[in-house]
Amino acid sequence: MIELTINGQAIRAQAGSSVLAAARANGITIPSLCDHPDLKPYGGCRLCVVEVEGARTPPAACTLPVAPGMVVQTETPALAAARQAVLELLLANYVDGDAPAAGPAETEFMRWVRRYGLAAPAGVAPRYPVDADPNPFIRVDMNKCILCLRCVRACAEVQGRFVWGTAERGFDTRIVAGADTALLGARCESCGACVAYCPTGALDDKLSRGLGAAERKVTTTCTYCGVGCQLDLNVRENRIVGVTSNPAAPVNGMALCVKGRYGYDFVHHPQRLTQPRVRGYLLEGDGRRPAGGSRGPWVETDWDTALNLVVRRLTAIKQAAGPDAIGVLASAKCTNEENYLMNKLARQLIGTHNVDHCARLCHASTVAGLAMCYGSGAMSNTMADIYAHARAIFIIGSNTTEQHPVFGARIRQAVLQRGVKLVVADPRRIDIAEFAAPRFGGLHLRQRPGADVALVNGLMHIILRAGWHDAAYIQARCEGFQDLETTLAHYPPALAAEITGVPVDQLHQAAEIIARNKPMAVFWAMGITQHTTGVFNVLSLGNLQMLLGNMGVPGGGVNPLRGQNNVQGACDMGALPNVFPGYQAVTDEKARAKFAAAWALHDGGPHLAETPGLTVTELIPLAGEGQIKALYILGEDPVLTDPDVNHVRRCLDACDFIVLQEIFPSETAEFADVLLPGTAFAEKDGTFTNTERRVQLARQAVSPPGQARPDWAIIADLGRRLLAHEGRRPAGPQAGWDYACPAQLMDEIAAVTPSYAGVSHERLERGDTLHWPVKGRDHPGTPILHIGQFTRGLGKFFAIDHLPPKELPDDEFPMVLTIGRVIYHWHGGEMTRRAEGLLAVYPETLVEINPEDAVRIGLNGAQTVRVTSRRGEMLAKAIVTDRVSPGLIFGNFHFPGAQNVNNLTIAALDPIAKIPEYKVCAVRIEAVAGDSPEAAPGLAQAAAPAGRSAPGGAN
Amino acid sequence: MRAAMAHRANGHPPPAPPEVTAAVTAAVAEHGDAAGALIPVLSAVNRRLGYLPPAALAEVSRRLGMPASRVYGVARFYTLLSTEPRGRHLVQFCENAPCHVVGGRRVWEALRQALGLAPGETSADGRFTLITTSCIGACAVGPVVVIDDEVHGNLTPDQVEALLARYA
Repeated sequence: MIELTINGQAIRAQAGSSVLAAARANGITIPSLCDHPDLKPYGGCRLCVVEVEGARTPPAACTLPVAPGMVVQTETPALAAARQAVLELLLANYVDGDAPAAGPAETEFMRWVRRYGLAAPAGVAPRYPVDADPNPFIRVDMNKCILCLRCVRACAEVQGRFVWGTAERGFDTRIVAGADTALLGARCESCGACVAYCPTGALDDKLSRGLGAAERKVTTTCTYCGVGCQLDLNVRENRIVGVTSNPAAPVNGMALCVKGRYGYDFVHHPQRLTQPRVRGYLLEGDGRRPAGGSRGPWVETDWDTALNLVVRRLTAIKQAAGPDAIGVLASAKCTNEENYLMNKLARQLIGTHNVDHCARLCHASTVAGLAMCYGSGAMSNTMADIYAHARAIFIIGSNTTEQHPVFGARIRQAVLQRGVKLVVADPRRIDIAEFAAPRFGGLHLRQRPGADVALVNGLMHIILRAGWHDAAYIQARCEGFQDLETTLAHYPPALAAEITGVPVDQLHQAAEIIARNKPMAVFWAMGITQHTTGVFNVLSLGNLQMLLGNMGVPGGGVNPLRGQNNVQGACDMGALPNVFPGYQAVTDEKARAKFAAAWALHDGGPHLAETPGLTVTELIPLAGEGQIKALYILGEDPVLTDPDVNHVRRCLDACDFIVLQEIFPSETAEFADVLLPGTAFAEKDGTFTNTERRVQLARQAVSPPGQARPDWAIIADLGRRLLAHEGRRPAGPQAGWDYACPAQLMDEIAAVTPSYAGVSHERLERGDTLHWPVKGRDHPGTPILHIGQFTRGLGKFFAIDHLPPKELPDDEFPMVLTIGRVIYHWHGGEMTRRAEGLLAVYPETLVEINPEDAVRIGLNGAQTVRVTSRRGEMLAKAIVTDRVSPGLIFGNFHFPGAQNVNNLTIAALDPIAKIPEYKVCAVRIEAVAGDSPEAAPGLAQAAAPAGRSAPGGAN
Repeated sequence: MRAAMAHRANGHPPPAPPEVTAAVTAAVAEHGDAAGALIPVLSAVNRRLGYLPPAALAEVSRRLGMPASRVYGVARFYTLLSTEPRGRHLVQFCENAPCHVVGGRRVWEALRQALGLAPGETSADGRFTLITTSCIGACAVGPVVVIDDEVHGNLTPDQVEALLARYA
């Protein structure tokens, strides 16, 4: 520590810290513009000049390191004059086109201008066009730019995208995007970091323009992915008028992605459901559904009518066909409290374990696999831990920068700033692969889809032969190693190369990188899980991390990136057919007894079955066969997102009675009999649990539209009505359905869920960081799992052999289709297709096809392709790109109808986790003749020679 | 409009013409692809193509693994590089003080008149581009004009026509 004096105050500061940072840390504000605590010092604006005893001229505090005995003054008349002069120079060419009408802007720059008694001069001619960029989110007005370069540095140091730069010299110097193009042409991801860091409003939020200043800001947790970013909803007159960064956000700081920052307007979309709807037939005559064809017209009704109808129908079906004829689908978009209630509704009141949710379709294999090898099926380390401590990162089957953008940006920075070695294994040349380039000491492996076990076995074979494994760790903490060793002997590099398509030398290089840079953290997502070998893939990665001794250590671990904002929480809350909340198995007699007592009813219920219920991927097909008579679906859209949606439609059509609780009339609504208007994330309180098991608050910012109600309130109301209708009364301590608020619900969850025992809204409001397991009110949570010993005791190696995907290409269907998502959309797109800016940048599905295949099918000149599988076809625009290898095509499921790739996918299931093999099926592709020949997108790539791609460069 | 925006969002540049690819390949072969090679590479490509078209900047960015914004910033910073097409011959007039005090202004006016160009302009026949430059270090022989790589010193206004005539 270094001791110095600032304004007469004795201060201790870290060696290497700047005078500005030391002052800031001690509550002394030195005026500054180009400096920001998140960014490297730049020393450009000269506003932070200070007087230092013994120095000839006042130095800039931001670039001045603290020195022992330094005596600093930050406020003197001479400094004030110097700062005035700096501000006057900055103002000389500053033109705020809004100011004449709106008055001086409330920006950091204008606050300092006013503080030093200055004002923007009148009559300055603008030098640049106002609103100069067509980007739908970011408004560019360089007339307000003071060249502080915060945007340039934020784009480089926070986002790692390097879109902004400077061009020209002297007075002509200006900020440009890429090679002076539009932002989107310069690989801008529209994350808005540049806007968040801009102190003048030269870069501004386009969507917020003209909506007025926020009356209040409500800090809440983002509704999109599992990273769990916190952000401030800016509210005016009960509407969200913008989203701003909250520097105190624990996971993300100032960083957000395009969806989190700019994808909020769906909340106020005119298609929001505002009143309960039931099919007309339910209110007439005998209430029988019209034979054949559609379910008939909707009738808007009141909550009493709708909920009583649901109660009567569900009870009737339960009495006639038994409770297991009913299926309940919870929602990874909803809160922990709501998912807990869905689990309770199914198990306590309906009497079935048939409760599941979309985790089945994303990480069921992770949960099952990790439970088998370690005893706990969740991300073992935290994002911040890995960012700070990992020396190597192995990403396999995760398109991190598009699907978990804020964490993807962190990984870029880990490579750039800490020299972390990155190995990416992905059939596609996804964006993050740029940072796995040899010049960063990394590598991108392009394995064939479905060859992950062979790849990981091949890597482990090399590691073992080279003696890079951690024998002491294996000996002390694991079991079953010999079986693994025997199996690995059958995966020499030559064979692994043959199966995976990855050259032998790359296998050697990758093995060395991941084995010799410890700790190494593994990340995966759907590329690993959505296979018929999903559980085997996960077990292989579990093997790898035990082999290297990377479990239970900072900077290592197994790190499945969870997709939905609360998919971790929905699993935790028992929205799964085999477990009660906290993964207490329904097959465990003690667990059943515990919940039978907690949820006890006066009539001796609930009767909790000894065997698990059915999964989503079983419930829907069984609805088609008449075995499942009713579905209660909360915030899911299986008609878009389940595999082989043509079959899904037939099954839902056959189902007797479907209740859908939603915020929009989704594609699935077509098959529903009752539609209950729920609420969006901004309209309710509760908690979400992010991918790293961190429980965070979601706070209500605006009131729900019309008669829409918070989902927890709807489910609780339904619960009370079910109790009353059946004449049952609560007897156990957690058996009732009267809840005043989600905080009270969390208390009930904590009482029955050991891993949430210490979680409460009160602690979260206080700012406690809670990663489960949180074992009690004073327990600090558990950021890293498996320290000292695995949850199951010894970690278990599983000897896994490669198995091919279910459906391989043949003469009729010669191409492999793999699927995924794009950065601008979310899942089935119900929200993002109703966010104006997101739809503007990505208005339709694009199918990726390799240049060689494009030439082969004669795509040159045509734009639209027809892709056909054994199950259906899709029609969409093609994008020709070497992101995919020859023989591979890629599509997404963000758009309904003919553009949906799930018309093609196969519902082949992993035998253990019942997760479908979305990632591989066989298709054929053809160009659609007569299509407009205008600009076949991306044909560029066909002519461009292969070369390494550039971060921020063209690609 | 929407579709166009979408395709831009996916970051696919127009194809690099073969002569651009060839120029960048040759420059990278000569100077390497480390970050420090940026200026020599741009300079070599500029020399071969006469200027740095967008496709060349994109290609250099890709080969050097360097952000397009940085490549462009450097290309716009140095007078020896140009992102606009230039004439077959580049006429650079030194506008610094030592040339000025020995009669540079009259030479400058003669140059402008003979070429019929303002600074930064290129003649319609593509023969000349006229720019001004800062000191080239030949003050002893001022006024100085550099045409392509040749330095012409001790110039007087009446020599200008004949000098230009040597460059076809």
